[in-house]
Amino acid sequence: MTEAASYVYLAARELSDDAVTGVTGLSDRPLRLVRNAGLTAVVSTVDLEEFGEDALRRNLEDLGWLEGVVRTHDEVVNRIGRLTAVAPWRLATIMNDDDRVAKLLDTWRVELTESLERVEGCSEWSVKMYADLSERPAAGSGATEHETGTAYLQRRRTETARHADAAQSATVAADQIHLTLSQLTAASRRLPPQDRRLTGHTGEMVLNGAYLVADAESQQFTSLVEELGGDLSDARLDLNGPWPPYSFATLESGGGG
Amino acid sequence: MSPMFDRPRPDSLADLLERVLDKGVVLAGDIRVNLLDIELLTIKIRLLLVSVDKAAEMGIDWWRRDPMLSSEAADNQQALQQENAELRARLDALESSGNSQQVIEPADDQQDDQQDSEAAESKARQR
Repeated sequence: MTEAASYVYLAARELSDDAVTGVTGLSDRPLRLVRNAGLTAVVSTVDLEEFGEDALRRNLEDLGWLEGVVRTHDEVVNRIGRLTAVAPWRLATIMNDDDRVAKLLDTWRVELTESLERVEGCSEWSVKMYADLSERPAAGSGATEHETGTAYLQRRRTETARHADAAQSATVAADQIHLTLSQLTAASRRLPPQDRRLTGHTGEMVLNGAYLVADAESQQFTSLVEELGGDLSDARLDLNGPWPPYSFATLESGGGG
Repeated sequence: MSPMFDRPRPDSLADLLERVLDKGVVLAGDIRVNLLDIELLTIKIRLLLVSVDKAAEMGIDWWRRDPMLSSEAADNQQALQQENAELRARLDALESSGNSQQVIEPADDQQDDQQDSEAAESKARQR
């Protein structure tokens, strides 16, 4: 017999049983609710053979396995997020049984409740800015057949300076856009740029911003991003979302910063 | 019911991993399994490279030396920085005291000990 445990997807306030009736989560097991302290956790059973500490360590390095689990986790969070405010939990929070989940809800009642209040009626959006910093020699300054050493060095120096200028102005523009968006959103966070090898993006990711936007204002927000993107030359904005508030339903800092 | 989370296109894996692996509520308590930060780092590194086997084939191991990605490298860097600071302090002291033969003792032996044990701990955690 394999040992089972409770995998927790998220916490919400009140949730009716209907929300999870007939819905499956990881390993195609049915979702269920654990209620305590005015909070509800959405959980499903997982086998420790697959989700135990050692197994997890092994499986997490299998990108195929991980992608499946991450997508299922996110689908559950999205589904419930359509019904009510949710505090998504990080991947792979696994408790011995539902009693422990209930206890945890009680222990963290105040923090979880605050976090849910903070994200109530809001969604997370992602705005990324990609700058094209490729070196483009100015017209007429390209290499000629009979370029002298001095001319070559001069040309290289100009190109390098131009590249540095472009990088500098892209950074300034990214800061400005983040500031503008931050002022108009409930909360914002600047995340580290993503790795090109995973995203396959072209250009330099100079902004990877997460914004908590009231659902009632999402139209305004997307128009604003479009407008800001339209003003850019040699750079583009990429808008994604809305998502459940993963970056803002955190317990520590209130999501600001 | 709000249509807010209906999405016409699937999220990129990068975005998905960023959210689900990196963000979200993390609680302390009676938890059977939790993604510890240290483990997350190794996972993330592997993800960055998409194919671990391919990376190994290509001999890619830069992350081991990147203090942002490897606690070992971070410890090493910290040790280096401390050593630098100590050397600079000794140099300053020597310069300001003219050419006297005075030798400044290393800042604090205790700190070295602490660092050693930290490094050992971090190695133990990585196992």
